[in-house]
Amino acid sequence: MIAKIICYTLNGLDGVPVEVETDVNKGIPAYEMVGLPDTAVKESKERVRSALKNSGMLFPLHKITVNFAPADIRKEGASFDLAIAISLLKASEQLTEANTDGIVFLGELALNGDLRPVNGILPILISAKGHGYQKFVIPYGNAREARFLGGAEIFAAKSLSEAVAHLRGTAPIAPLETAEFSLRAKTRTGADLAYVKGQPMARRALEIAVSGGHNLLMVGPPGTGKTMLARCLPTVMPDLTFQEALEITKIHSVAGTLGEEGIVTERPFRTPHHTATTVSMCGGGNRVVHPGEISLAHGGVLFLDELPEYKRSTLEALRQPLEDGVITIARSAGVVTYPARFMLCASMNPCPCGNYGSAELTCTCSPAEIRRYRARVSGPLLDRIDLQVEVDSIGYDELTSTQLREDSETVKGRVNEARRIQRERFEGRRVASNAEMGEREIGEFCALSRECDEILRGVFERMKLSARARSRIVKVARTIADLDASEKILPKHVYEAASYRIYDKLG
Amino acid sequence: MDYTADETAIIWLCAQNFDYGTRVRLLRAASRPQNLLTEFGKISQSVIKRGEMRVYNNDCRSPEKSAEAVMAGMRDCGAYAVTLLSEDYPDSLKVIPDPPLALFCIGRRELLKKKKFGIVGSRITPPWAAKEARLVSERLAERFVVATGFAEGGDRAAIDGALGSGNLICVLPLGIDGCYPAAHHALKEQVREKGLLVSEYAPGTGLKKYHFHARNRILAGLSEGVLVASAGRKSGALITANFALEFGRDVFAFPYNPGIAQGAGCNELIKSGAYLCTGAEDIFACYGISSPSRERTELSETERRVLEVLRSEGEVHAAVIAERAGIPVYEAAATLSSLEVKNLAVKAGGNRYSAL
Repeated sequence: MIAKIICYTLNGLDGVPVEVETDVNKGIPAYEMVGLPDTAVKESKERVRSALKNSGMLFPLHKITVNFAPADIRKEGASFDLAIAISLLKASEQLTEANTDGIVFLGELALNGDLRPVNGILPILISAKGHGYQKFVIPYGNAREARFLGGAEIFAAKSLSEAVAHLRGTAPIAPLETAEFSLRAKTRTGADLAYVKGQPMARRALEIAVSGGHNLLMVGPPGTGKTMLARCLPTVMPDLTFQEALEITKIHSVAGTLGEEGIVTERPFRTPHHTATTVSMCGGGNRVVHPGEISLAHGGVLFLDELPEYKRSTLEALRQPLEDGVITIARSAGVVTYPARFMLCASMNPCPCGNYGSAELTCTCSPAEIRRYRARVSGPLLDRIDLQVEVDSIGYDELTSTQLREDSETVKGRVNEARRIQRERFEGRRVASNAEMGEREIGEFCALSRECDEILRGVFERMKLSARARSRIVKVARTIADLDASEKILPKHVYEAASYRIYDKLG
Repeated sequence: MDYTADETAIIWLCAQNFDYGTRVRLLRAASRPQNLLTEFGKISQSVIKRGEMRVYNNDCRSPEKSAEAVMAGMRDCGAYAVTLLSEDYPDSLKVIPDPPLALFCIGRRELLKKKKFGIVGSRITPPWAAKEARLVSERLAERFVVATGFAEGGDRAAIDGALGSGNLICVLPLGIDGCYPAAHHALKEQVREKGLLVSEYAPGTGLKKYHFHARNRILAGLSEGVLVASAGRKSGALITANFALEFGRDVFAFPYNPGIAQGAGCNELIKSGAYLCTGAEDIFACYGISSPSRERTELSETERRVLEVLRSEGEVHAAVIAERAGIPVYEAAATLSSLEVKNLAVKAGGNRYSAL
């Protein structure tokens, strides 16, 4: 008898239906798998055999053929185990009373028959629902994640025998209740701007960067709190909407980095070490294409500490995703596109010894050394970083102003307001924030008065800025004006924006 | 360019691998310089001991032929030579104890005869000093030709200031066709176009450690006076200043706060009698040149307040300025940026600013 069971595999963030067909025939006992399964799928033979036995069911001593259709896509991972086991039971007529039509089975089997959670449940469920499937049997370990998919019947089974009992109707499992999406009240890291001492300039730059979606470079001696500041970035970013959360969760689900809650409730903060390879940064892999750090940072912050230490090729690879917000990875197995719209925050020392510009310590680097060090970060990459700010080691005691003890919540309030202005401005356009403006939008929304134009010209002449810095300054000035709730860009906005281009002045 | 036979002989001699003393002795031994080309073998015997000739590793068998090669080398890089015999040889340089026998030049020849003023500084120059040196250089270039080296830091600031007017001479420590530091290649092109490049060394001469010392003597010799923008205790800029003193030229120096290593040499100079210089006016005054003082710029109320804080506190952090002036930090950042454009303040790094 032939049994057909529906299962799903992943291609990027999309689920692809796979039919598991099993035929049990009379003949010399054998167990064949066809249809381009990879090693992990083939190994499921032994898992399924043991799981069936240890769940009190029979493993048929016949000629067994398992086929995966369509046969032209490669099947990987252990999520087919449950589907194979169920189809075996059906084909060997041990499960004749159950109706398995239209049910999607997902899960990895343990030798004792337990069901183990698998990666990528949420994107599979979303795709499958889109394909019209309404019923799912999944491992109990994936229940938290699956709860957020409304409008489908999802049964979370702890073991194979539970799933079989449910199908037979002897012990039905109650479908999962759809969970309400709620944001976590307190961040996991506990980061908050209230704990950052001093750093008035950097705080301001942080606020502008988040308000306008600009990328940020922090330059400062070691130990001045660059990382601490960067960790605060997610806390001042606007709250996640459910749609955003779902999209981020899909990526993390595929990568298997999902936490306890089953959904991402706060914006990701990724800090890949500077030894990271281009593939780990952008995504890739031998046969399976995994999302890279930039995709895992989607909707959040990618923090690159010690920017010049990263491999140049790795940094250059960031340029295209920074512009497009997606990364398309081509491998022999196929082409996969992952979203990668992240905010880039980088930090570096001002010079090799780290003391350039310090009040107390003397810098021992020659200008040539400093130039070499800074040249490790290429111009085109710097060009995509609108804000460059110096982080300094000023003593907290020197300042008493209350401005310095603001917590993230207060800053976030102002950010939300600035974002609202931008949303209204860019209504019905492809652009979402000031940083994404193209030349057309700049011409339309960033008209400069004659006075501002004069100032900008003066700034260019005196500071020896590169021509491409102009539109960057104008964009940042627009954001500063938005924070100021000012319709027009005023001279002070231009001046302040110009003060965040410290690196253009170098050679 | 045409050279007399004497000049050709001197240019050839300068392109040979002799030290300065030997060259002078060779010239003295020859009754006329041009004889060097025709009777070098005979003349050299009286100057260079037998067997020592090998040390110099020169091919002196046919001086006339190799002189032609030197000329060709000069033509290739667009250079010309100004010898001690030439009309255009700067008088101020002629009077020093060991004037270069020939100057290899690229650029505007007429600058050699004008009044020159030297500006030097060490490679590590604090931002405010660099900016101030640039401003002084810009002002001086109205009345003088600014002479300087070709390094980063102080020299670079002087070049940046004077390049606009073209009244600029850069003295190189290696062959006129070379470039050191190599990163200044593009800058060299600009200087040769607008100003003048000068070197004691014939095209093709490489860089040697001792060239810097010799170069500094030319720099000091060319100049009526020398401004030291920055100098540590052992800076090369001090060598130039010492040469200037030796040659009886004026020495000026920027004053520094005590404890700043990049300015210790400047303060030493002032202690031992150099003029303290805080702007181009000080130099003009010394030479009896009347000059309009820095034009007054219109300042807003906030700018005035911030500038007041800067002037009273020295190098200060932007946050401190904001607090003293009673304005939010971001407004202070904007104001400082505008003061910077108006050349009244300068960023010292680490969000610190100082007034000019």
